Amino acid sequence: MMANPLLKRIWRHKLFYLFMLPGIVWFFLFSYVPLYGIQVAFRDFRFSGGFTGSPWAGLKYFHQFFDYYQSSQLIRNTLLISGLKLLIGFAMPILLAILLNEVRSLKFKKTLQTLSYLPYFVSWVVVVTLMQRLLTPYGGPVNDLLLSSGALKDPIQFLNNTTWFYQIIVGSDVWKNIGWNSIIYMAAIAGIDQQLYEAAKIDGAGRFRQIWHVTLPGVRNIAVILFILATGSLMSAGYEQLLLLNGPATAAIGSVLDVHVISAGIGEGRLSYAAAVGLFQSFIALVLILTVNRLARKVSDVSLF
Amino acid sequence: MRNKRSKAAAALLAAAMMGGTLIGCSNGGGNDAAAGNGGGDGGSGKEVTLKILHNWNGSGTGDVDPTPVAKAIEEKTGVKVKMDYTKGSEVEKVNQIFATQDLPDIYTGPAWGGELDGIIKAAKEDQLVDISGKLDKYPNLAKAIAKENVPPALYDKAIGAFGDKKYMMYQNQPSTDKDAMDWLYGFYVRKDIAEKVGIDPQSVKTKDDMYNFLKKIKDAGLKESGMPVFPLGGFSNGWAVGIGNTMFYGSDYVDKGDGTLEHVFFTKPYEEYTLYYRKLISEGLLDPETFTQTDPIAQEKIKQGRIAVLAAHLPAIIDASKNYVKAHPGSDYVPVGPLERAGAEPDRPVDLGIQGNNVTVITKACKNVDAALKLLDFLASDEGFKLVRYGVEGVHYDMVDGKPVAKQEFFDKFASDTTGKAKKNEGFSIGYEDMTGQDRLNSLGGDIWADQDRIAKMDNARKILRPNGISVISAYNPGDVMAKSPQWEALKPSMDKIGDVWKEAIFAKSDDAALKVIGALRDQMNKTGYPDAIKYVNDNLKGKEVVKLAMPN
Repeated sequence: MMANPLLKRIWRHKLFYLFMLPGIVWFFLFSYVPLYGIQVAFRDFRFSGGFTGSPWAGLKYFHQFFDYYQSSQLIRNTLLISGLKLLIGFAMPILLAILLNEVRSLKFKKTLQTLSYLPYFVSWVVVVTLMQRLLTPYGGPVNDLLLSSGALKDPIQFLNNTTWFYQIIVGSDVWKNIGWNSIIYMAAIAGIDQQLYEAAKIDGAGRFRQIWHVTLPGVRNIAVILFILATGSLMSAGYEQLLLLNGPATAAIGSVLDVHVISAGIGEGRLSYAAAVGLFQSFIALVLILTVNRLARKVSDVSLF
Repeated sequence: MRNKRSKAAAALLAAAMMGGTLIGCSNGGGNDAAAGNGGGDGGSGKEVTLKILHNWNGSGTGDVDPTPVAKAIEEKTGVKVKMDYTKGSEVEKVNQIFATQDLPDIYTGPAWGGELDGIIKAAKEDQLVDISGKLDKYPNLAKAIAKENVPPALYDKAIGAFGDKKYMMYQNQPSTDKDAMDWLYGFYVRKDIAEKVGIDPQSVKTKDDMYNFLKKIKDAGLKESGMPVFPLGGFSNGWAVGIGNTMFYGSDYVDKGDGTLEHVFFTKPYEEYTLYYRKLISEGLLDPETFTQTDPIAQEKIKQGRIAVLAAHLPAIIDASKNYVKAHPGSDYVPVGPLERAGAEPDRPVDLGIQGNNVTVITKACKNVDAALKLLDFLASDEGFKLVRYGVEGVHYDMVDGKPVAKQEFFDKFASDTTGKAKKNEGFSIGYEDMTGQDRLNSLGGDIWADQDRIAKMDNARKILRPNGISVISAYNPGDVMAKSPQWEALKPSMDKIGDVWKEAIFAKSDDAALKVIGALRDQMNKTGYPDAIKYVNDNLKGKEVVKLAMPN
């Protein structure tokens, strides 16, 4: 019959594997099948030749990217913005999950949770339009409020201003994703054995001590896994948000690789070049994930693989 | 038993999830295919449905489908049209449809810039239908792309660039001199604001006058609905606030003084132009949001009366300010200037590039090319032209003494509608106009829907801004020659950055920083082959008449 122990195990748990099947099919179709398109980065893409029939170009488009006078600026901006997002945006959901866990009124907790998830489902186009309306110095409510309260003498140009750019980018990203990203931590906290909290209480631990000694270690493993995964996005600062929020005034610090790829590929029709830059991003992301994974395994014994 | 049932339920659930995933991934292509080809035959009189992509950002239909005009087209040609519109960048749309092979049967869009480059690339790469063998059956189309009816540079570059093969049909080239359309680009100020600050708009002539005029508006501290009025603004993505460039240089390629050409980006006047706009931005004279705002936001500002001086063409300004002017009589936008033109004698007629603006192609996805050609040939005929512009005879207009006269009922309906929907619902301005061959609006009877007020405003602006009349540019455009240089592929990405870099420079913290931004791109252009490319241009244009003065149109 089935000599292979792995196949045997799969057959024994076939129902669980059946549940996994849609996810596997999804990944296969959308993450593995498109991999054959990578070759476009090494070809002079022609509409008539498609992925396989276009003439071979070797590393021409990679050279073009590194010869581009703004390539180092693009890489620097991307790393800086995504680094800031990782630094601040990674810790915030953990904090929110812990705070929500401490809320005793179930109704209040559920309402708060729902409200925190909502921004995740609002598209960046809507969020940015809202921000433009709220933050404009020309009759925007934020400036009006600050002016009328005496906190400001002159209105502030929050958008299209290098002074406020990173704050706006990171702040809006945190606001939009904090609720959604906290779900997994909420689940991890819910899985912590309640006896640990009771034992801590008996030992005289207050709320903060319980958080420090029980809750945080309880979410530590999941946090490390998510951190490793998040490092994979370091070369990707967020296409929609930056396309919408970056403008000529902030171009020097706000132009990032994701937007460059889209504008070169779709805007200028340089599909091979865009694919080459995209592949470069993915390659660096892979190196980062492998490095952080190895570091995490050494430091905390938690790793992806 | 219970275990079995739950196992069966779980299996069913998993299968449903997987099925849902796969269904979600599909695009219901069956219907699209039907829509694309209709399964009919244009030649045999069966109904055919053709999908047309009208690639002009902002175009769209009304609430009625099919419209009376579309029904009349279908009756005449047997072709039912399914229009698709572009929301966003036209260049992106061209690249997207060919890269993803999500092709319409017919594509119609701008005959310039990256849009035309995309279509030329598509023609070179066998994505379009060669119509050269069929043109004898479609005389109206043949006429529209005859060499004498297409500007030479465009013919060389696109329409006639493929030897015996013809892929592109060309539209809106004026048929006669009286059909030439001058869009009257310029700076227009709200009349009431000019009066408030006590400056006669016609006294504004030089760049310093313009600066002082805007400064005076700013210093007046005007407010509308509690919000400040911007001295200078434009429409979406900065259109067309940059037209003040003509005060600094004559055209994109300037004479270095030794008879050879240089791209203006490398010259001192370009720096002065940039620094002038930087000053406008830094002193709050130019709306800083204008380069990033969407069309609805731009329109909202104009409708609220928050822009004192608008830079654009007059028809757009009249349409956008219609509501505000109606509610605030005396607030019409009137021309500023005429402003000085760098390198032009004061009595020189205004040099305008008046030519067609649209190309139409049949893509390789079209399985009924004859039906497509039949439709396009009808639209390019006088009958089709009039149907699309004037509507159905007897319904929308009557012929009186050989001239079309609008039915009062529709004239009033359109004139009172500030949204433009009433016209669209009848089938006007929804894209067909761009497929009607040569522009012969004035030859065939003029714009019967233009109200007297609009005509008067256009005439008034023409008198002020074109005191010496206009001169249609027929000389060679060095930009077209540069695009044929061997260095073009490497150079084009840098050249495409000029507009973005200009915008970045005018927002720079200092003049030095602005010049540094420009200098960085100049270096990149030099690195990617500009010196050889401009040499190629100069070699090829030696002894030829070249465009040295051009106003926006």
